[in-house]
Amino acid sequence: MSRFRVAGRGRVQQDRPVCFTFDGQTIEGCAGDTVASALLANGRHLMGRSFKYHRPRGPVTAGTEEPNALIGTRRGEGQFEPNTRATAQEIWNGLDTTSQNKYPSLSFDVGALNDSLYMLFSAGFYYKTFMWPRSFWDKVYEPFIRAAAGLGVSPSEPDPDHYASRYLHTDVLVVGGGPAGLAAAKSAAEAGLRVALVDENSEMGGTLLSEPQAEIDGNAAWDWLAEELATLDALGVRIMTRTTAIGYYHQNMVGLCQKLTDHLETPDPDMPRERLWRVRAQQVILAQGGLEKPLVFHGNDRPGVMLAGSAQTYLNRYGVKVGDRPVIVTSHDSAWHAAFDLADAGADVQAIVDTRANPRADFITGAEKRNIEVLAGHTVTGTRGRLRIKAVRINSVADGKVGAARTLTCDCLLMSGGWTPSLHLFSHTKGTLRWDDESQTFLPDRKAEACQIAGAGRGLWGIETALNDGAAMGAAAAEELGHSVKATARSVQNDRTGSGVTHTELPTDRNPSRTKAFVDFQNDVMAKDLRLAVREGMRSIEHVKRYTTNGMATDQGKMSNMNGLNIAADALGKPQPQVGLTTFRPPYTPTTFGAFVGYHKGDHFDVTRKTPIDGWAEENGAVFEPVSLWRRARYFPQPGEDMDAAVSRECRATRKSLGMFDASTLGKIEVVGPDAVEFMNRMYTNPWTKLAPGRTRYGLLLGDDGFIRDDGVIGRLTEDRFHITTTTGGAARVLNMMEDYLQTEWPDLKVWLTSTTEQWATIALNGPNARNLLSPFVEGLDISDGAFPHMSIAECTVAGYPARLFRVSFTGELGFEVNVPARHGRALWETLFEAGQQFDICPYGTETMHVLRAEKGFIIVGQDTDGTVTPYDAGQGWAVGKKKRDFVGMRALQRPDLTAKNRKQLVGLLTEDSRTKLEEGAQIVLDPNQSKPMRMVGHVTSSYHSDAAGRPIALALVEGGHNRMGETVHIPMPDTVVKATVTGTTFYDPDNERLKL
Amino acid sequence: MTVHVDLLTARQLAASSVATISLLAPGSRYSLRVGETDRDALSQALDLALPEKIGECSRRHNTEILCLGPDEWIVLSPESDAGTIAQACAAVYDAAPHSLTDISDREVTVLIEGPKAAELMTLGCPRDLEKLPNGQGRRTVFDGVSVILWRDGPQRFRLDVWRSFASHVISLLATGCGELALE
Repeated sequence: MSRFRVAGRGRVQQDRPVCFTFDGQTIEGCAGDTVASALLANGRHLMGRSFKYHRPRGPVTAGTEEPNALIGTRRGEGQFEPNTRATAQEIWNGLDTTSQNKYPSLSFDVGALNDSLYMLFSAGFYYKTFMWPRSFWDKVYEPFIRAAAGLGVSPSEPDPDHYASRYLHTDVLVVGGGPAGLAAAKSAAEAGLRVALVDENSEMGGTLLSEPQAEIDGNAAWDWLAEELATLDALGVRIMTRTTAIGYYHQNMVGLCQKLTDHLETPDPDMPRERLWRVRAQQVILAQGGLEKPLVFHGNDRPGVMLAGSAQTYLNRYGVKVGDRPVIVTSHDSAWHAAFDLADAGADVQAIVDTRANPRADFITGAEKRNIEVLAGHTVTGTRGRLRIKAVRINSVADGKVGAARTLTCDCLLMSGGWTPSLHLFSHTKGTLRWDDESQTFLPDRKAEACQIAGAGRGLWGIETALNDGAAMGAAAAEELGHSVKATARSVQNDRTGSGVTHTELPTDRNPSRTKAFVDFQNDVMAKDLRLAVREGMRSIEHVKRYTTNGMATDQGKMSNMNGLNIAADALGKPQPQVGLTTFRPPYTPTTFGAFVGYHKGDHFDVTRKTPIDGWAEENGAVFEPVSLWRRARYFPQPGEDMDAAVSRECRATRKSLGMFDASTLGKIEVVGPDAVEFMNRMYTNPWTKLAPGRTRYGLLLGDDGFIRDDGVIGRLTEDRFHITTTTGGAARVLNMMEDYLQTEWPDLKVWLTSTTEQWATIALNGPNARNLLSPFVEGLDISDGAFPHMSIAECTVAGYPARLFRVSFTGELGFEVNVPARHGRALWETLFEAGQQFDICPYGTETMHVLRAEKGFIIVGQDTDGTVTPYDAGQGWAVGKKKRDFVGMRALQRPDLTAKNRKQLVGLLTEDSRTKLEEGAQIVLDPNQSKPMRMVGHVTSSYHSDAAGRPIALALVEGGHNRMGETVHIPMPDTVVKATVTGTTFYDPDNERLKL
Repeated sequence: MTVHVDLLTARQLAASSVATISLLAPGSRYSLRVGETDRDALSQALDLALPEKIGECSRRHNTEILCLGPDEWIVLSPESDAGTIAQACAAVYDAAPHSLTDISDREVTVLIEGPKAAELMTLGCPRDLEKLPNGQGRRTVFDGVSVILWRDGPQRFRLDVWRSFASHVISLLATGCGELALE
């Protein structure tokens, strides 16, 4: 058995040895140990080096508040985690752990040079030291700071673990499984409520795990605990261990992170590592307890210096004596119990140093009985020992004067500066705090959420008090929810109640400017740094915090906030409430990215929407591009073709004979009701009243600012039924905008909107042979040019499928769009593709669609418009109904700046050398010889090589462009300036002859 | 990227000891919109009351009507009854204007059943499902995707999901099906 394990003590299984490695060395612990307890059982306190000064450090606590003992853990291939708390990580056979912030080794570290140069690294040293010369920042200071900063080493491999998440609704959520939480859960459960009880530890019990001497209603604490948990289970309480409440959000939503496999030697590989719970609770009971405060004195960070309560936990919960010859230094009664427990377990307690002049008489008796020297009214002024404490320097204090020093040898120093309620979650809710003078701490005051605070979390002390307060708060929560229950009162024997006093720095006879008395262990902030910050003008605790980084480490000041505040308040000569407490923010303890990511990685990262025809495109070698959430086929390269070659071929084939295109992603909205036409008139710029059923029209939609928002072809199926199409990316936005107007502005209209985007699969056929292909498949409709002219719509049957057929063209060729119920989309596509072979049918993608429409000067909303383009700017004034009384955006179009002459207007551009293809987004200037910065008058919005035009073509927004036809503009590029002539926007078949087939 | 599954073939998609996930064969699905004053006329036309409370369902034979909003219902029936429903509504259109729009293909229906079906839903649905009575439905979200959720029994749910989002939802349901079986 390990040297410091106490036989028969603790809750670990001493008959089940577990071996893990620390810095390559095999360490034996017991089942139930943490890395810290196992190392301590082997007499090892040194577990890491500090962040800034690389000072040797050991664990100061036994829980997740630990600032020092941060280690790397490797659970397997790719499963490395830095900054794991050694005090919380449970051990298992084969766990691989490493210390951090050391080079070359933990016991000899060159970075510790910083420690001797500490005078250079005082508060705010970044701001002072690295200010000048300015040119040093990029090359010297920043690389140095970046290399020196950071805790541990970031993992470099992809995380092979998976993570899960759930929602949970409960009547009552109890955070903290100590006496208060257990009792609260029971009250609430007895009231018949749904209760969840969570605790971050591997087992429930909280303080009870460290205080087995207590007797609750005559039962030993641990027997009572086991029985109570069984009762709660029987009452249906959901009990969750290893589960941290990381944040408390609005309307009683609490985030929980449950660790599922980190403690297991051979977890099922399919098990998630962690699960994030989003809990919505009617009532939350915060029973998080309190945290012990360190004392602030020179050398208080040496390995072996530890909180007394934590030493008691190591002894009673883990069966580990943290040293053979402890010295205790305290300003609170609780540490006396730790001393007595250790003495009773065989430790040779050297002395109890109490800063108070008159400790309780029963303690003096207890110490005498155990032969422990009591040094009341004393202070600690220093420690000695390089990698582990060897001695402590003690001075008497009388009338504020520090007396002569005396040195006591020891192998650990157990300190207690009293206890602070854990206010973190309460603080997340923006609940207010009040300063309690008697206990010298902040306590919860006004609540902002439906919660109760029980036990030590509101400054109460002792197991009996906590149990009864918990029971009362559980009953109070039940009452809030309309249930009545009587809180069970319990009595506790051997309860360890007590009190204490608080200090700033302990009195010392040393020069305060050379005293290394640590307040924030993790960020290496000393008391003198805080005083310096105040001397240099910091007044608010928020400024002091940022200047010194006190409380800004990953422990969020669990150890340091109160000591920091007390010292800053003392330096300012103000009471603490006037200096204030910094804000706690989620998460309560560091949480993995994985827990937040949950299922959303790999294939499940986000939705990729695909059309019913997507599978065919994939099988036929399409190259895809994302368009909003959709992926769309961009082009269909044949062997050896790049995009330009494929698009060029697709364009030629479509114009020559026949192309087919999957247009299923187009947004579709069905507008139905007696007021449908009135609604259309109000929404779109175009007039709709005279559009006959069976006809379609291009519709232009503006925002109330007069700028183009969307466009699309709209068919009138019957008097009262329109089939709107929108852009792919605009579908949801347009429907929302329409619903908004309908519900808030025009609730009197009898018209209803239904999204039918995914009801229909849409196949566009374009080219001179479009009708030749389609005709044989159409039943119930004559699609000849006379009977079904351009811009028609009808219901019919295509290849046996019910269909809505549009005659419409976005290419300038004879075109049809066949809409069939989505499930038939692919079958129809395959039928048409097969039959189309006689016409050399060519499937084409979005890139070809873009070229073909640009050749005709058809705009793409969002490409040729950018939210500042009016219909007139875009050359689409023809689509604005001149006689209409009103439509969305009409008033805005009359504003002076929207009617100004020199607005940016959409024009065509032809490069003068007929070869250069302009870059989309390139800026346009009028005079290329002007001095820089040049005045830019517009930019290129679309640019392609056009097979039909036999040259590159472009669309651009240019100031006053409509009046610049024929003028030359200049497009400066990195290596040259391109000249282009301003033209109209139609580059192909300006008289639309090809539609008249 | 979402791995899309075949949505044309009704079949079991995933199964474990705790739940099975199946794709149901398509039926007829209409969105029915009508104002309060004309609601009764539609109830009479359909010979089935449009439930007045959001989330409530009415059923007769194989037709099921779920209230989704103050003027919005979803009408499910076998495909063979779709024509009858359309005709019955059209017959009262002039007297009781409304919108009946076919959305049979807009969505697919996924069935989730098994001893832990209700818990499986908590992977993606933020609602308190204990407060969703059997026989009712809700428009809600599952893993961020808008869905209509029916509770047919304590451990039997149906999800209507837009086609292009269905594979994403099915993927999480399948993951959860395995995950819950490990507990």
